[in-house]
Amino acid sequence: MAMESQHVADVLNGFKLNWMNLRDASSGKIMWEGTQDLSVPGREHQARVPKKILKCKAVSREINFSSQQLMEKFRLEQRILFHGRCLEEWFFEFGFVIPESTNTWQSIIEAAPASQMMGADVLSGNVVIETNFFDDELLVSTSKVRLFYV
Amino acid sequence: MGLLSILRKLRSDHHKELRILLLGLDNAGKTTILKSLASEKIDQITPTQGFNVKCVNTPGFKLNVWDIGGQRRIRPYWRNYFENTDLLIYVIDSTDQKRFEETGVELRELLEDEKLSGVPLLIFANKQDLFNAAKASDIANLLKLHTLNGRTWQIQACSALKGEGVQDGIEWVMKTAGAKAKKK
Repeated sequence: MAMESQHVADVLNGFKLNWMNLRDASSGKIMWEGTQDLSVPGREHQARVPKKILKCKAVSREINFSSQQLMEKFRLEQRILFHGRCLEEWFFEFGFVIPESTNTWQSIIEAAPASQMMGADVLSGNVVIETNFFDDELLVSTSKVRLFYV
Repeated sequence: MGLLSILRKLRSDHHKELRILLLGLDNAGKTTILKSLASEKIDQITPTQGFNVKCVNTPGFKLNVWDIGGQRRIRPYWRNYFENTDLLIYVIDSTDQKRFEETGVELRELLEDEKLSGVPLLIFANKQDLFNAAKASDIANLLKLHTLNGRTWQIQACSALKGEGVQDGIEWVMKTAGAKAKKK
């Protein structure tokens, strides 16, 4: 039991979210990039994103993270929340994570999600991208980014 | 151009999810190929110390491309990513003559693995824009690709830096993966 909790502590302490960005997926151009330490627990980050991202036919969300420890069943859940209500939900299974590795996950989404049906004024400040990282059932890290369309 | 337009073409096909694995020695150009496919800037690429996974989601179809670092330290972990692979892309630096033998050995090992048996193989003979690049046909001979039994394969000359040949290779990938999915 003591060993297990030590392992949990090692996984949590050895995990870091390095950066995150949003791109216009058609051109590959970065529209917003956040390089603050995104893994500071409980902290909500703010992203000021150009309004025109709402007009993009396809958007990419990219996250870079490091892990000191080996993980076997790594996965993430990403939700796009509007006033706390879930508009979109993505699940991804990575499986294995190499010890002392730095990795990138990029999700490119085509076709208009519900959020694109609303105007920038309605959405701005009310949309949060929440990403939860798990090793099997263990919550490893959470990131929350509130979007402002400017 | 790019992954999205390829996926648009595929949407009418039956298969729902495609997993592509991108392997090769360090500095072969795997990440550059992946980025150039998405029209992203390729001027700040550093050695991959783990994986880069790109997921392209369109209604009714998902494409996941896994680019795993090629450094010696990371190679022993490659096999953790073999499961459920639909297609293997192996990238070779065509100018790195000193390591042709090494890359051949790594490729043989991949192809002998049970989890990758029967998985179609595309080889990118990358960096063709450089004057000292070996021809794709010479690399094919060197790797004895004609001796591969029971496996669909193709070698494609390309320059990920110039964006030449990559699209042709990916079109082969989609055609081959599509045909494989229909057989299932």
